[in-house]
Amino acid sequence: MKKICTLTAAAIVASSMAFGGSFQLNLQGIRQTAMGGTGVAWPWDASTIFFNPGGLARLQGIQAYGSVNFVQPNVKYIQTPTGGYSSSTQSHTSTPFAIYVGGPLMKDSRLAVGVGVYTPFGSRLDWGNNWAGRFIVEDISLHSIFIQPTASYAINDYVSIGAGFVYAIGTVDINKAIPLQDLNGNNGQARLNGNASGYGYNLGVQVKATKDLQFGVSYRSKVNMEVNNGDATFNVPSSVAGNFPNTNFATKLPLPSILTVGAGYRFCENFMVQADVVFAGWKTYDSLSFDFAENKAVQDTHDPRSYKNTVAYRLGVHYDVSKSFAVMAGGAYDPTPTKDNLLSPDAVDADRITLSCGATYQPLPKLTIMAALNYTTTPKHEVSYDPASFSGAYQIKSLLPAIGLSYSF
Amino acid sequence: MKKSYLLIAASAALCIASCKSKIEPEKPTAGDADFSNYIAIGNSLTSGFSDGTLYRSGQENSYPSMLAAQFQLAGGGEFKQPLLPGEAGWPIVPAAGYNPRRVMGYSTDCLGVKSLSPVFYALPIDTAGSSASIASQGPFNNQGVPGIRCIDYTLTGYGIFNPYSARFYTNPGSTKPLDQALLAKPTFFTMWLGSNDVLGYATSGGTGANGGVAIGDISPLSVFKASYEASVNALMALNAKGVLINIPDVTAIPYFTTVPIKGLVLTRQGQADSLNAAYGGLNGIHFNVGANYWVIADSSVTGNIRQIKEGEYVCLSIPQNNLKCLGWGSVVPIPDGYVLDMQEVNNVKSATTAFNLVIEDVATKNHLGYVDANAYLSSLQSGITWNGVSYNPTFVTGGAFSLDGVHLTPRGYALIANEILRVINTTYHSTLPMVDINSKNGVLFP
Repeated sequence: MKKICTLTAAAIVASSMAFGGSFQLNLQGIRQTAMGGTGVAWPWDASTIFFNPGGLARLQGIQAYGSVNFVQPNVKYIQTPTGGYSSSTQSHTSTPFAIYVGGPLMKDSRLAVGVGVYTPFGSRLDWGNNWAGRFIVEDISLHSIFIQPTASYAINDYVSIGAGFVYAIGTVDINKAIPLQDLNGNNGQARLNGNASGYGYNLGVQVKATKDLQFGVSYRSKVNMEVNNGDATFNVPSSVAGNFPNTNFATKLPLPSILTVGAGYRFCENFMVQADVVFAGWKTYDSLSFDFAENKAVQDTHDPRSYKNTVAYRLGVHYDVSKSFAVMAGGAYDPTPTKDNLLSPDAVDADRITLSCGATYQPLPKLTIMAALNYTTTPKHEVSYDPASFSGAYQIKSLLPAIGLSYSF
Repeated sequence: MKKSYLLIAASAALCIASCKSKIEPEKPTAGDADFSNYIAIGNSLTSGFSDGTLYRSGQENSYPSMLAAQFQLAGGGEFKQPLLPGEAGWPIVPAAGYNPRRVMGYSTDCLGVKSLSPVFYALPIDTAGSSASIASQGPFNNQGVPGIRCIDYTLTGYGIFNPYSARFYTNPGSTKPLDQALLAKPTFFTMWLGSNDVLGYATSGGTGANGGVAIGDISPLSVFKASYEASVNALMALNAKGVLINIPDVTAIPYFTTVPIKGLVLTRQGQADSLNAAYGGLNGIHFNVGANYWVIADSSVTGNIRQIKEGEYVCLSIPQNNLKCLGWGSVVPIPDGYVLDMQEVNNVKSATTAFNLVIEDVATKNHLGYVDANAYLSSLQSGITWNGVSYNPTFVTGGAFSLDGVHLTPRGYALIANEILRVINTTYHSTLPMVDINSKNGVLFP
């Protein structure tokens, strides 16, 4: 019976677990979220530490900023070309957040410093343990937190620059079924969980051409999230358990570099428009490999992903209703980096259309309360994941509220 | 402040109302076919036979039952099967070769080594009432009868000699199996007959005749052809549509591929020397340290003994303890009944090819779908992946073949069901969805 596990090994090879796909979260600032994700050109507040470190030197003083998003995406799978089967992900709310503290060291200082703690990547998809793709993925959860100390310097009245060092930490937790059934017909289970870390940087240049026309460029480097000592836990029928010792695994997930170029223009005293073009270097995500410390039945895996680089377009408008109250709206088009024949249910994606709105209110001159609402949808997207011979159509829908506070010292 | 709260409250309400995807799968269509009364004609493979016997959950997972479930998405009707009451297998008469179902368990061999392997079902035998005729509950949509050959299908009175058909045929002693299938007046049928016209010969090690009508013979081509054509013609007379499924190459199944032909492992030169001395080079018999070809009986050579060759097979039915402890394959030749030699393999292969030509020809002439199960199962050799699970024909671990090495697991039957569905969709322009193979059982482990 030593061959018992070729079956399982082959299955894991064919369908190994993956991190998310376009698992980028564009939720690092409330105003920016409300304006379709734009924000590289205009240093609205301390969240510019993320959007454009070069803008930090343009703030009026030190600001503390915090925001939280309530993300609960709905992903639905349907059998194609015809069928009677469909499945939706179970609801879980995750709360990507952002905290920034920073600004010019003193009034009229050219140098500004700050730190940001934010969550630029993450996803949770829970298909349950009884759905058709359970041998590919049942449940996947990715979290990341970036910590970014930042310095910014205003070279002159027009140009300011900034740079931040990024230390990234994260967790990964994946569950999937193993095709070895016990006497009651229950499938085996595999769980891979571990901590990841990586390094990167965030550079920005902000140009204040005139009072009403500003430009920005930011470059956030690729961050290689590495898991060195993850725990692989297997639960299989006892007669074959000897072939599935719990072991450690290593893997690497490259988070892509992101170049953003944008402009903002104030048409009149209380109305402005800003637009960003975002180049994401997803091509770096070519494959996903898992290296297990002990290879008995479970062999190392290597899955093609072959992501493509993408260019996303974002547009936002801002309108001051009164001195203390403003409203915002925006939209974005984010094409998917995934290939139609390599789209795994652990990283569902499609060309995304986003509509957003929001408002800010200043009850006190130093205090701002912010809220945003972001609606994202994809068209029905018919795809396959060829390494596992799994095909179907998906749709993603998400409506997420976000709130935040900022206080200027 | 209030505005923020309002916004959040409003968004929460909106989310519940509008933020779920509402896409739904396309509804399957029947195309040119009418699935309202589907009849499955065939042998053990059609009945849901698995793990060496017929039992209720095996029947419930027969490929016709899976097909019927898909047909029901496009106008298919009720699908009635002659279900047995129990799970132990039926009949159970070990002296007559009818054993209980095989399951994975532990057994200890003649060397005292305990290992995980197929063993007989040990739970209480639940065969009570199995022999009673249930013909009055018919007609049954699943007409699969274990053991039945194509040449039996037009044989009056066959039903009474086969315990499986005797329990659900009406007047088994005076009708033909074909009459029973016609009773149900099918609008659509699948027909998978012919495997037993070669399989019996093969599994008994080719001891029967090539071109005979006894059990264990290869059926005569002319008889096969006449019976096959008569059966299909009778169905065509009812204006039924359907598909014909051909005969897989039985030499590719685990029953023949599991026991290695180079299975005599010698660890010391002394063993090889003494065997070489004993045989004195008769018919080129020679041994080395390492893996050696088994010694087999062959009445066509001098001394009636030689070593097995590449392209020949040892049957899964061989008693393993005799190989391990009684010198079978080394000092005692493996009896002919456990070996399929080259000539027998050729007989099986050429009969399979000839029968399949008949089936394909009948399908073409009657504009019926033709399922090349032979080609499909040979593609299984290199592995077929479905929704993240890989299947291959390896015994026990491959997931597709049940513990008798001949019949399929529910997952294996689902693989075949999907191939049949593919052909139905192509032939009749229907859009039936595939079966979720992984939702069925494979081999279960303790």
